[in-house]
Amino acid sequence: MRGPDDKIASPPPGTQDLLFGAARRLRRCEAALAQVFEAHGYAEVVPPALESAEVFEGQQALRALDRSGHLLAMRADFTAQVARIAATRLSGISPLRLYYRGSVVRDGDGPRERLQAGCELVGAEGPEADAEILALAEAALGALGLSQAARLSVGTMGYFAALVESAGAGPRLSHALSDAVDRKDLPTLRMLCEREVPSGPAREALLALAQPPRPQPEALAPLARARESAPTPQAASALARLEAALAAARGRGLGAEVEVDLGEVRGLGYYTGIVFNLYVAGAPRAVGGGGRYDTLLGRFGDPRPAVGFSLDLDALVPLSEAAR
Amino acid sequence: MLTIALPKGRLQAPALQRFAAAGIVPEEEPGSSRRLIVPAGAGARFLVLKDGDVPMYVERGAADLGVCGLDQILESGADLLIPIELGFGRCRLCVAAPASRGASGLDDLGRSLRVATKYPRLAAKAFARRGVPIDLVRLSGSVELAAVAGLSDAIVDLVESGRTLAENGLTVVEELLAVSARLVVNRAAYRLKIDELRPLLEKLGGAP
Repeated sequence: MRGPDDKIASPPPGTQDLLFGAARRLRRCEAALAQVFEAHGYAEVVPPALESAEVFEGQQALRALDRSGHLLAMRADFTAQVARIAATRLSGISPLRLYYRGSVVRDGDGPRERLQAGCELVGAEGPEADAEILALAEAALGALGLSQAARLSVGTMGYFAALVESAGAGPRLSHALSDAVDRKDLPTLRMLCEREVPSGPAREALLALAQPPRPQPEALAPLARARESAPTPQAASALARLEAALAAARGRGLGAEVEVDLGEVRGLGYYTGIVFNLYVAGAPRAVGGGGRYDTLLGRFGDPRPAVGFSLDLDALVPLSEAAR
Repeated sequence: MLTIALPKGRLQAPALQRFAAAGIVPEEEPGSSRRLIVPAGAGARFLVLKDGDVPMYVERGAADLGVCGLDQILESGADLLIPIELGFGRCRLCVAAPASRGASGLDDLGRSLRVATKYPRLAAKAFARRGVPIDLVRLSGSVELAAVAGLSDAIVDLVESGRTLAENGLTVVEELLAVSARLVVNRAAYRLKIDELRPLLEKLGGAP
């Protein structure tokens, strides 16, 4: 007797089946997170698995044509969907506190379906809102038993954008600078700056972005230093805003686990203000992250500020289980 | 405890020298026995690896940091931090072809090319950027031979002095990348073990 065709014997590459214990562990983590989110006043939304492909513009969505020739995409990002919902069906209500859980699908090498849970705070623009999201992300890790080993690395897109603008960088150079800063690639950053950025405070500030983070007691020091020598009012105000958000976060009990890295420029293309990544001992990459995206809802016709975060449950569920 | 991925090729000796200058000395010469993990005091240990495996070990967190040529880092596509240029292992990744073709740039090589290389990702990217379709031949060594023996029209390979090329009647058509050894660091280790890493980064980042 012949066995089944290899193609149908296993799920498509980059996806997986969760059986029994693994399914139970996932649901337990999701339930713990849902409980924290709801205790903080967040309400669940369940967006569809499919969207118009335009919703995930610029992302590696898995696309297909339906029978009437419309280009659809599997959900590649919850935030864009929640923004669509908030901007349309919930447009009159501010602030909105929404959470979600489920999977996102991205077409590429490696894992193609990833399990996530996250929160979005829509219609709130002050530093208090940034702090609420930071503190909630920390509380979420706490609910999974992981706050002991966690580190939040916080930066702001506004500062990098202001430096790039003040350096007069076009799209090609700004992309190269962002890539070098993201990889802490100081040699390349130095080369780009020397060749293409006029010498001055903007160049100095760009070079400082790839420096290693300072020891904990002085974690906020780079922020104060950068503000003193900010090359433009926009750069200074982005830093002042980050400082205000961190002060508010401290007021909510966040402390030792927070570190400032102004070179934290990685994130989805739509971030405009504070941006952060979450790290937990035992995971080789960020296990979550988020930021402020004040222009995304405008794409759906309701320009309102918003900030949020998501967690990578594929990484967090086993860590949470080990910490129990 | 820091776990350091050490390449066992030509980068090993200069890399060990730099770590020694930063106070990290292996208990025995890596490669002198069959041990694959060599302790270096209480604070560190070395994993002895093939060059090309370093990016994977560090990206996946099996090692916190490592030493690797920029060619291997970019070819692997691994998501790594690459903060320090270590100043050794300098060479160039080049397109080379038989001198008899008389090419002085990629565009002179013709519209469709057979290219042999150990660097399929970097070669494909370099030619794609020029809009030149290529037939990629993936080899694991003696790449020069491919162009000499007629397996390919051109090669993409590391060039150190250029002597091997010259002795085989090949010439550099274009340089694609200046290569040197980099310190690579895992993204999470950079956050979670920064207190252990910082002194090492500072010492290795200074002049060699």
